Amino acid sequence: MVLAELGGSISRALQRMNNAPTIDEKVLGELINEIARALLQADVDFKVVADMRSNIKKIVNLDDLAAGHNKRKIIQQAVFNELCKMLDAGKPSYTPKKGKPSSGKTTTCTKYAHYYQKKGWKPALVCADTFRAGAFDQLKQNATKAKIPFYGSYMESDPVKIALEGVERFKEENCDLIIVDTSGRHKQEAALFEEMRQVYEATKPDLVIFVMDSSIGQAAFNQAQAFKQSVSVGAVIVTKMDGHAKGGGALSAVAATKSPIIFIGTGEHMDEFEVFDVKPFVSRLLGMGDWSGFMDK
Amino acid sequence: FSSMFQSIAGNGVIEKSDLGPALKALKDRLMTKNVAEEIAEKICESVSASLEGKRLGSFTRISSTVQTAMEEALTRILTPRRSIDILRDVHAAREQGKPYVIVFVGVNGVGKSTNLAKVAYWLLQHNLSVQLTACDTFRSGAVEQLRTHARRLQIDIFEKGYEKDPAMVAKESIQKAHRDHTDVVLVDTAGRMQDKDDLMRELSKLINLNTPDLVLFVGEALVGNDAVDQLTKFNQKLADLSNSSNTRLIDGILLTKFDTIDDKVGAALSMVYISGAPIMFVGCGQSYTDLKKLNVKSIVKTLLK
Ligand SMILES: Nc1nc2c(ncn2[C@@H]2O[C@H](COP(=O)(O)OP(=O)(O)OP(=O)(O)O)[C@@H](O)[C@H]2O)c(=O)[nH]1
Ligand SMILES: Nc1nc2c(ncn2[C@@H]2O[C@H](COP(=O)(O)OP(=O)(O)OP(=O)(O)O)[C@@H](O)[C@H]2O)c(=O)[nH]1
Ligand SMILES: [Mg+2]
Ligand SMILES: [Mg+2]
Repeated sequence: MVLAELGGSISRALQRMNNAPTIDEKVLGELINEIARALLQADVDFKVVADMRSNIKKIVNLDDLAAGHNKRKIIQQAVFNELCKMLDAGKPSYTPKKGKPSSGKTTTCTKYAHYYQKKGWKPALVCADTFRAGAFDQLKQNATKAKIPFYGSYMESDPVKIALEGVERFKEENCDLIIVDTSGRHKQEAALFEEMRQVYEATKPDLVIFVMDSSIGQAAFNQAQAFKQSVSVGAVIVTKMDGHAKGGGALSAVAATKSPIIFIGTGEHMDEFEVFDVKPFVSRLLGMGDWSGFMDK
Repeated sequence: FSSMFQSIAGNGVIEKSDLGPALKALKDRLMTKNVAEEIAEKICESVSASLEGKRLGSFTRISSTVQTAMEEALTRILTPRRSIDILRDVHAAREQGKPYVIVFVGVNGVGKSTNLAKVAYWLLQHNLSVQLTACDTFRSGAVEQLRTHARRLQIDIFEKGYEKDPAMVAKESIQKAHRDHTDVVLVDTAGRMQDKDDLMRELSKLINLNTPDLVLFVGEALVGNDAVDQLTKFNQKLADLSNSSNTRLIDGILLTKFDTIDDKVGAALSMVYISGAPIMFVGCGQSYTDLKKLNVKSIVKTLLK
C-alpha cells in the first residue's frame, strides 16, 4: 500500500521516542529529523516538510511545557495533527449535483461513474479529449464495458464544443451525473491550459476533480497549484495507489490545491477504486492502535 | 549557512566533520531538484569519501571543494559507460538482412506509446522504414492509439486487436518485418506496475521469446522516489524470470515529460544511478519532433543551481 512505508517509518520514530528515558531537545530533534527524512523519501514537497518541521517545533516547545505534562503524548498528538493537516483540506464538498459535469481523467472517469451508478445515480461520460491519439476509443471501450452512456466525436477537434454538446445531450436525457474527461496537460503547456479554462467556463461544472498519479515527485506541488490557479479545483483523486509509490507527492498536491482527496485508484480495473477518509487513513497509516483519542473532532 | 563557508582550521587536511554542513546543504539541494533521497544520500557519501584525508589547497574553501567534487561525481554518473548508437546498429542489422527490434517498457501512463511514435518519426527522418507493433492488448484504446500514430506517420502497423498474447503478436510482427525487409520494428507494450508479478512475467516472456535488439525503459521525469524502485524491480524481475543463459535487462532509458518539471531534473540522475543504463532519448513535449538527446552538462548545472 502506498504511504504504508511512510507510516511505518513515522511509527518507528515515535516508538523510539517513547522508549527514550527522558524527552529532551536531542530526542525531539532526532524524532523530527527522522520524520522529515521519511516524508522526503515519500516525495512530500520539500517546503511542505520544512513547514511541518517548524510547526511541530513551535507546538512542542519543551521549555514551555510545565513539568508533569505528558510530553510524549503532546508530541504524538502534534505529529498526528500535522499529518492530518497535510492530507485534510477541509470539508469535502463532492456530492455531485444534477446535470453538471465534473472534470477528470479517462480511467478514473469510468471508475467514478461506475461507483455512483452502483449507488443508483444515472451517470454519463463525455470525451472532451480531442488531443491524444485513441482517447475517444479508450473512453468508449471503458464506458461500453461499464454500460454507461457516452458522448464524443472522431471528427470534431474543438473540446469546448464537444463538452457542451455532450452535457446538453445528457441533460436532456435526465442524467444526474455528467462527467467530462479532458486531455492531459501540464502547467508549462500554456495553450492546453487555456483550452482547459475554456472547457471550464463553457460547462460551468459543479466540481472540478484534479486527478494525479501517486508516483509524482517534487514537481507535484507546482503542477497542482497551477491547476488550482487556472480552474477552481474542488477535489483530488490519487491514482495508481496499488503501486509501490510513496504517495507523498499526493500529500503535497492536497497542500497546494487545498482540496480534499475523495477517492483513490488502486488498479487498472473498473472497481479498483476506494473512498478516501483522512483520519482513519492516517491512523491506519501509523498503525499504532487507538488514535481516536487524538482526533480533535 | 555561514558554517558552509568556513575554511579548514589547522593543517588543511579535510576531515569528515569538515564536510558535514556543505554536504548536507548539497543533499537538500539535490532533493529539492527531485533526486531520490536514497540516491542523494549515496552520492554525498561517495563525495565525502573521495575528499576525506585530501589536503585542501591554500585559499580554497571547503564549500567550493565539495561543489567541484560533486560536479565531477554527477557528470561521471550521467555520462554513459557504454554507448549505444541505434542508427549504426540498425544499419548493421540491415546488412544481415534482419529488422532491428526495440521494445518499449515501463509503468502505466509514462508515455511509452507517444514516445514510441516520436522514435518512429526520428527513424523516418533518417530514411529508415519502420513498423509499429501493438502489443498493448489490454488497455482500452491502446490499439487505436497506435493505429492513429501509424496513419499520421504513414507507416505500417502490425496488430491483432485485444486480448491476444503480446509475446506472440511481437513474434509475428518481427517475422512480417523480416519478410518485408523493414528496417526497424517498434514494439509497444502495456503499462505495468513493477510489483505485479503476472504482468512482469508476461513482459519477460515477450522479451525472452523475441530477443529484441534494445529494451528501452520509459520513465517519466515527474516520478519521485519511486524511480529507484521501478528500475530496480524491472531489472530484477527480468533477470529472475529469464529462461535463457543470456539474460536481457534494460539497455537504455527514454526519459519523458521533461518539459513539465522546470528545474526539478533529479529523476534523470536517480534513474541512471540505479540502473547504470544510459538515457538515450528525452521526451519534451507531445508532438513528434519533441525528442532530444540528454545534455549532461546542463543537467548537472541545473542540479547544483
Ligand atoms: N495500476 C494502476 N493503473 C492505473 C490506475 N489508474 C489508471 N491506470 C493506468 O494508467 C494509464 C493511464 O491512464 P489514463 O486513464 O489513460 O490516464 P489519462 O490521465 O486519461 O491520460 P491522458 O489522457 O493521456 O492524459 C493506463 O494504463 C491505465 O490503465 C490505477 O489506479 N492503478
Ligand atoms: N508534456 C509531455 N507529455 C507527454 C510526453 N510524453 C508523453 N506525454 C503525454 O503523456 C500521456 C500518456 O502517454 P502515453 O504514450 O499514452 O503513455 P503510455 O505509457 O503508453 O500509457 P499506458 O500505455 O496507458 O501505460 C499522453 O497524454 C501523452 O501525450 C512528453 O514528453 N511531454
Ligand atoms: Mg485520458
Ligand atoms: Mg501505451
